[in-house]
Amino acid sequence: MMLSNIFTKSVRDRWKGTAIAFVSLMLLLLFAMSIYRNIDINIYQEMPEALKSIMGIPAGVNAGSLAVSVFLSGAGAWVLAGLTIASGSASIASEESNGTIGLLLGNPKSRTNILVSKAAAMLLLMGLLVTASWGCTYLIAGMLGVNMGGMSVGALSLHLFSVAIFHGFLAMAIGAWTGNRGTAAGITTGVMIVSIFAVGLLPLIEGWENLVKIFPWYYLNGSEPLFNGINWGHIGILWAGIVLFAVISVIGMNRRDLKSQNVGVTLLDRLRNYPMTQKIAARLAGSARVSRIWIKTFTEHQTLLVITGYVMLLTGMLIGVIYQFMPIETMANLFEEFPGAEVIIAAIGGGGGFSTPEGFFQLEIFGLMAPAALMVVGIMVGSRALSGEESRRTMGLLLANPIPRSKIIIEKSLTMVICAAVTGIATFLGVWLGSLFGGLGIDVGNIAATCLLVTLLGLVFGALALALSAATGNGRVAVFGSIGIALVSYMASSFLPLSENLAGFAKWSPYYYFLGSDPLFMGMNWGHVAILGGLALGLIALSVLLFQRRDLRDGG
Amino acid sequence: MNNQFAIHTEGFTKHYGGVHALVDLNIDIKAGEIFGFLGPNGAGKTTTIRTLLDEIRPTAGKASILGLDTHKQAVEIRKHIGYLPSDLALYPNLTGKDTLTFFANLRGGVDWSYVNSLAERLNADLSKKVGNLSSGNRQKIGLVQAFMSKPEIFIFDEPSSGLDPLVQREFQNMMREVVKKGSSVFLSSHTLSEVQNVADRVGIIRQGKLAAIESISELKSKAIRRIELDFDAPVEASVFEAISGVRDVVLENHHVVLSYDGKIEDMLRVVMDKYELLDIRTQEADLEEIFLAYYRREGAAA
Repeated sequence: MMLSNIFTKSVRDRWKGTAIAFVSLMLLLLFAMSIYRNIDINIYQEMPEALKSIMGIPAGVNAGSLAVSVFLSGAGAWVLAGLTIASGSASIASEESNGTIGLLLGNPKSRTNILVSKAAAMLLLMGLLVTASWGCTYLIAGMLGVNMGGMSVGALSLHLFSVAIFHGFLAMAIGAWTGNRGTAAGITTGVMIVSIFAVGLLPLIEGWENLVKIFPWYYLNGSEPLFNGINWGHIGILWAGIVLFAVISVIGMNRRDLKSQNVGVTLLDRLRNYPMTQKIAARLAGSARVSRIWIKTFTEHQTLLVITGYVMLLTGMLIGVIYQFMPIETMANLFEEFPGAEVIIAAIGGGGGFSTPEGFFQLEIFGLMAPAALMVVGIMVGSRALSGEESRRTMGLLLANPIPRSKIIIEKSLTMVICAAVTGIATFLGVWLGSLFGGLGIDVGNIAATCLLVTLLGLVFGALALALSAATGNGRVAVFGSIGIALVSYMASSFLPLSENLAGFAKWSPYYYFLGSDPLFMGMNWGHVAILGGLALGLIALSVLLFQRRDLRDGG
Repeated sequence: MNNQFAIHTEGFTKHYGGVHALVDLNIDIKAGEIFGFLGPNGAGKTTTIRTLLDEIRPTAGKASILGLDTHKQAVEIRKHIGYLPSDLALYPNLTGKDTLTFFANLRGGVDWSYVNSLAERLNADLSKKVGNLSSGNRQKIGLVQAFMSKPEIFIFDEPSSGLDPLVQREFQNMMREVVKKGSSVFLSSHTLSEVQNVADRVGIIRQGKLAAIESISELKSKAIRRIELDFDAPVEASVFEAISGVRDVVLENHHVVLSYDGKIEDMLRVVMDKYELLDIRTQEADLEEIFLAYYRREGAAA
């Protein structure tokens, strides 16, 4: 059944990403544990259970459990599910879009064989990643002298593994039926995001607590496996889903026509074929789209923009509405009793809290989600700007035209600015409408200021990705380099201020210039706008210099 | 001085780490000439072209196109160039028409009636998305793209790959036409027959070094012939091998096949002294064999 060659090839194709994820997660964990170890976390122990559960803070709190909760079952679970979604959605669909599926099936192997090999590779890599993280967590705790008594990282790991594989197999099933990688990854990521939000927010709303059980993410931490051990019922539910998706994948894969090449048919293409709409569609899809480099580049990112813009718009509105259901007074009282708690929530949530609508938006939207969305957009556009053309080997042809290299950078930077602006505006509209619908009365100018700052923050990291790609032509270096620096800067700006001695260093992080001035409460800080804008412009200028100097890459 | 050359290189050298991709290349290509650039895969043909186009920079040496420095005046040069890269990659989501419009816009516009006539001649389908075209049909889009701005210099890197023989012939006609009007063509290929049909001169490159530059007629005159001989009785290989200029003797009883460069009567004299010759057939010199011979010679010298 097992194809050792396809299996080993899939493992080989994906081990690097898995290893990078492992190293980054463990570094985050090390960083978090050493910070938590140095701050006074007694405050957590004195908090009432209700507040702890809202904040996702485990009962037996110490530096170890806090770090593990926030970084393994929080960010770690997203990363793991992200990896399995990437590999699950790619399993068949990417062979189709690369045009290699024909060659692969030209060998005496069945479609099921290929699917099983790819799934096995996913299971193996994820298994290794989870096992290694499990061991390494104890190693880090031991090194730092953090007490891990009463905790079962192993049980949490099994839950993590199962949730990640669940999403990977869901993506695989959708990919097997549609042959479209983007659809598979998009839908599954959507399911994951909705599910994460539902698990975070539904339990806060009276009468809706039980609804949370229909979301797969609930089975990750619903039973608090870190303290209560493995919940076999929850694991069973996840694996029943996994088996179901596997069966659906095999059926879907075997019954449909394979695609020879994956050139998507967009709405504009369809409109182009109808006589009524032909003329206008032809202008939009054809001559207008290719009239400038920046416009063409912009159309290449439209799917990304539609998805992130839509998500930001919806979440903003949703948060505004949800805030009304929050037991605000209870929480305000809690904070009065435990004034230190807000500081710690603020660290995790980018300076937010529950007691004011501004704080709630800061916690739910601006703390992590909006900067993440803007950085994703900036980094995607920035990293693909040059390395995309180079790896697709279209750069040579592009530069055979009478345009200087700097023009390519400038036009593509313009696209990046527009893409970031679109996402920033969607975020603004979402939050503004949310505040309006929820009757929260947040100052519009303050929302605009915060959205401008977060847009500039995304641009800084986009420009960083552009500079890395201008220096190396390597898309991976650009993406992982800028994401790595973005994570470190988020961590530095969020956690360094908790420690008195280190607080000054937070100013070295670009993230500081986004929320450091509390723009949602205080309004625009033009100095910070200038710093972020200047940084982005500086990096773009640096990209021009770097790109002028080097040899173009030919593919790969 | 350099102005009279379409393309001129001087000690053009490119190293990648320890790999010497291009060593001390000196070429002059005249205006109105088709210059064939021949070599096997990995010989340095594409490296030469990419360096000429300022995609990559020479480790040493310099080059000029139409008297302009290939690095310092790269943008100016590109106004005069039509280029078709090897293993052509285009934007899969654009149609042929979109692709040509995009590149036309980058050049500040083209004559669309000319573009349409080019597409017609090559039988190129401009309405489909490039990603849905076969490699040959994609290549046609690339060719239209190279011709459409009526450039003075054409640089083609393996242009015939994927093209059917009819389209190949049309492409050769198009090259001849533009050269008649004064343009120059730099034609890199390992399809020797193509170069043989259209080129005025040929440069042969091997392991990054230029092995020779010859006119097509000179090359042919130096030609090695392939000769088949039939005798009335079995013959010995040693008799043939002893003749200077003879190579690759294949002996099959009464029948001999060999390669020979030299005067045909010198060989015949020796052979007819010993045996009774029944029949002789020679094949016209083929660039293919000349090419192999150059390699053999170079290889032996090295």
